Amino acid sequence: MIAPLLERAARRAHAADAVVKTDETVTLTFESGRLKRTSFAQERGTNLRVVVDGRMGFAGSTAADPDALLESAFASARLGEEVDLPMPRPSALPAVVTHSSRAASASVEQLADLGRVVVDRLSQDGYQITVTVERSVGSVRAANSAGVDASYDVSSVGVMVEVVRIKGDDVLIVGDFLAGTDLPSFATLEGLVSGVRRRLDWASRSADPVAGSLPICFTPSGSSALLLPLHLACLGKSALQGISPLADKLGTTWLDTSFSLSDEPLLDGRSGSRPVDDEGIPSVPLRLIERGVPRALIYDLETAGRAGCRPTGHGRRSTFGKPQAAYSNLVVAPGEHDLNGLLGLIDDGLLVDELLGVGQGNVIGGAFSHPVALAYRVVKGEVVGRVTDVAVAGNSYELLRRIAGIGSEQHWRGSAAIPEIVVADVAVAKR
Amino acid sequence: MRNRLQEALRASRADYTEIRLERSWTTTVAYRGRRLEGANASLDVGGFVRCLNRGHGWGEASFNAFDRLPSMVARAHELSLAIHLDTAITLAPIPVREDSVTPDLDGDVRGISLAAKKDLLEHLNGEMLAVDRRIVDTQAAYHDEITEYWFANSDGVFLYELRPDITLSAVAVAREDGMIERGLESIGLRRGWRSVQNRDDIFQGAARRAVALLQAPAVRGGNYPVVLDPKLAGVFAHEALGHLSEADFIYENPQARTMMTLGRRLGSELLTVGDDGSATGLRGTLPYDDEGTPTRNNLLVQNGVLVGRLHSRETAARMNERPTGNARALSFRHPPIVRLTNTYIANGQGTLDDLLRDIPLGIYACDALGGQTYLEDFSFTSGYGYMIRDGRLAELVKPVVIAGKLFHTLDRIDRIAGDFRWNEMGGGCGKGGQVPLPVAEGAPHIRISEVLIGGEAA
Repeated sequence: MIAPLLERAARRAHAADAVVKTDETVTLTFESGRLKRTSFAQERGTNLRVVVDGRMGFAGSTAADPDALLESAFASARLGEEVDLPMPRPSALPAVVTHSSRAASASVEQLADLGRVVVDRLSQDGYQITVTVERSVGSVRAANSAGVDASYDVSSVGVMVEVVRIKGDDVLIVGDFLAGTDLPSFATLEGLVSGVRRRLDWASRSADPVAGSLPICFTPSGSSALLLPLHLACLGKSALQGISPLADKLGTTWLDTSFSLSDEPLLDGRSGSRPVDDEGIPSVPLRLIERGVPRALIYDLETAGRAGCRPTGHGRRSTFGKPQAAYSNLVVAPGEHDLNGLLGLIDDGLLVDELLGVGQGNVIGGAFSHPVALAYRVVKGEVVGRVTDVAVAGNSYELLRRIAGIGSEQHWRGSAAIPEIVVADVAVAKR
Repeated sequence: MRNRLQEALRASRADYTEIRLERSWTTTVAYRGRRLEGANASLDVGGFVRCLNRGHGWGEASFNAFDRLPSMVARAHELSLAIHLDTAITLAPIPVREDSVTPDLDGDVRGISLAAKKDLLEHLNGEMLAVDRRIVDTQAAYHDEITEYWFANSDGVFLYELRPDITLSAVAVAREDGMIERGLESIGLRRGWRSVQNRDDIFQGAARRAVALLQAPAVRGGNYPVVLDPKLAGVFAHEALGHLSEADFIYENPQARTMMTLGRRLGSELLTVGDDGSATGLRGTLPYDDEGTPTRNNLLVQNGVLVGRLHSRETAARMNERPTGNARALSFRHPPIVRLTNTYIANGQGTLDDLLRDIPLGIYACDALGGQTYLEDFSFTSGYGYMIRDGRLAELVKPVVIAGKLFHTLDRIDRIAGDFRWNEMGGGCGKGGQVPLPVAEGAPHIRISEVLIGGEAA
């Protein structure tokens, strides 16, 4: 339906583009260790954009009614801001694996087995285990009035686990997840399980809280307060609004030289991978920060037009709303230490697995102060037990200038690959 | 539509079948600085089916095209049968009703042009920008949504509702000498077009706050006596106690059941907390939840003692209690799960001044930028605050982070004022991937004798 829709739009508009996404998802939910719920979800949505007299309008719908969708888009364009929105022309797409027929054809029973393996391997008295297995199969088709008509199939399999242990008023929650295009191998599932079990072991003892200016090892799940401000700062739109602290630091050494961050859309089998963005621009990897030097920001068509630069292929469209710039796979470059080596850098400090309340407040400014949800005390390179009642504070950009070591293993969490990061002299308060 | 639903139910071979169909019209207008980000309308249609069979699990299906309903009922039934359970899922009984509820829309937004909605927000955004030359950036948003909603189940419940929602939100960013501060305000109502007229004060207030915070000092971290304003106290009730009272967290966990045993003392005689989905005209108000259970006022804590919790039909049956009308679904894409509605701390006595009077040094924390709980642990960020010195409000201070453990903190609530009010903020609550669910919160001023303040947050 996308071709006739664009054809009709182009009769009245100077330019038009659209994306149609379809998806069928099966979700299995294991509550308290047993499969209790299986859901099937079917979704099809169209997002249409038109440019009329230089003004942009857009509309979205899940109903099969092209007339209403066209009318909404043109009504939106009558009010829209003027934009410079050159539509990309057709070009060859790079190769990348975004679909696995093995995952697409897996039976509900095969998916249930994945969940059972995780439940069985973690079952223990006093643990309440929730596991969710999700398999999606779908398609993305992006087209425009300049002749682009790109499409690809997608599949994804996700496994999420959460273990809750309550002793008196003390609540411990340990969780993790994995996601990819294909069914996870046994070794990958085993990695998920052993990671959760290791954290449960560490948390089985409690350690005295500690305060002061301390070295902290942030795990991938614990590093959100460090990395989230950077995600916002690397958006071209933040620079356009004048609120990105790194916009005027491009090309200068700004963070620790051990730190590199890139956007990698062409990694086979990863959740964020895609050959083309939702605005029809072929994907290319992009170095955002290279050895501490900010190199690039990400743009969609509209923000690139406003900034007077080339779009980087980061247009993301959902059915509703207007296209926005979004990352594909965000990858923090690995360092040279294994986990023991990293912990060995710590004489007395913390291993932080999760902070509470990340994302509240003025995130892009970098300042944060969060109590730990899950953290362990590290003494002379050894994890000695769980600590509660401590809070971690600082400015994420300043902390990223005090990196003492980066882990050699990249842990994939959805569409992000993050190693452990050790930072020196982080403010820790006790309550 | 009724025939479509009843035919599908008749054709179902499952022991229990439940169907929701929804059609939603949405309009969104957004400004960023002086620039219109967009003004657009969307249409979202779809349905959700759940089937349950004795000795088996839940089978569910969601879909966009209504004409797929019969095949989706069959699909949900098959998915249910594929799950075998030793402990059967049962559903507590609810009244069998047929009802049609169309609230007073106070101006149906579907009759208002997109241009008029854009003009309204352009004006409000302009009010924010005009407050001070130091306002360098704004985010203004208008959002309305009207959902036609049909619910039917194989017990004989049939409901039709019109569910309106309308929100305005304001973010003002002030900058001076490299310092950046923000002011946030929002309002969310289950009403229509007329209810969002003459709201200039909300947008001006956000801008004035951002400018005032430029000069405000940050609080030195540490333990302080703290007075929470009704907005923040309401968020505290929702985040800290509300979520722990959701029975889906406790019903299958013996340790959690022990921790939340009814009759346990949680705080002083002063403290009464509840959740009322039937309160008049609030954002979390609904006549029925998404399992067809009538909503009601549910007491959670009465005079300091835990007395109740919030249920779906499944959790109520398992715990031998009554369904409370708290099974809510964000949309047809989701199953109903146990959720909060309008959560409140009941009124006490006295005024804000009475709470401040005997505090030599403390903090008055106002408004909420956000909150998160990790069951017993919580963290909230206020929108702004004031120092309390010698029993009086002193200088404005930057947003503070309040962190603590629920049970300790409840125990330290030593004064509750008599100035209760409901807060109708925009945004909403998130759980299990279903966000933002419209809720409201209400409270009077409350005082906590000692709590950890994490220092500057913004």
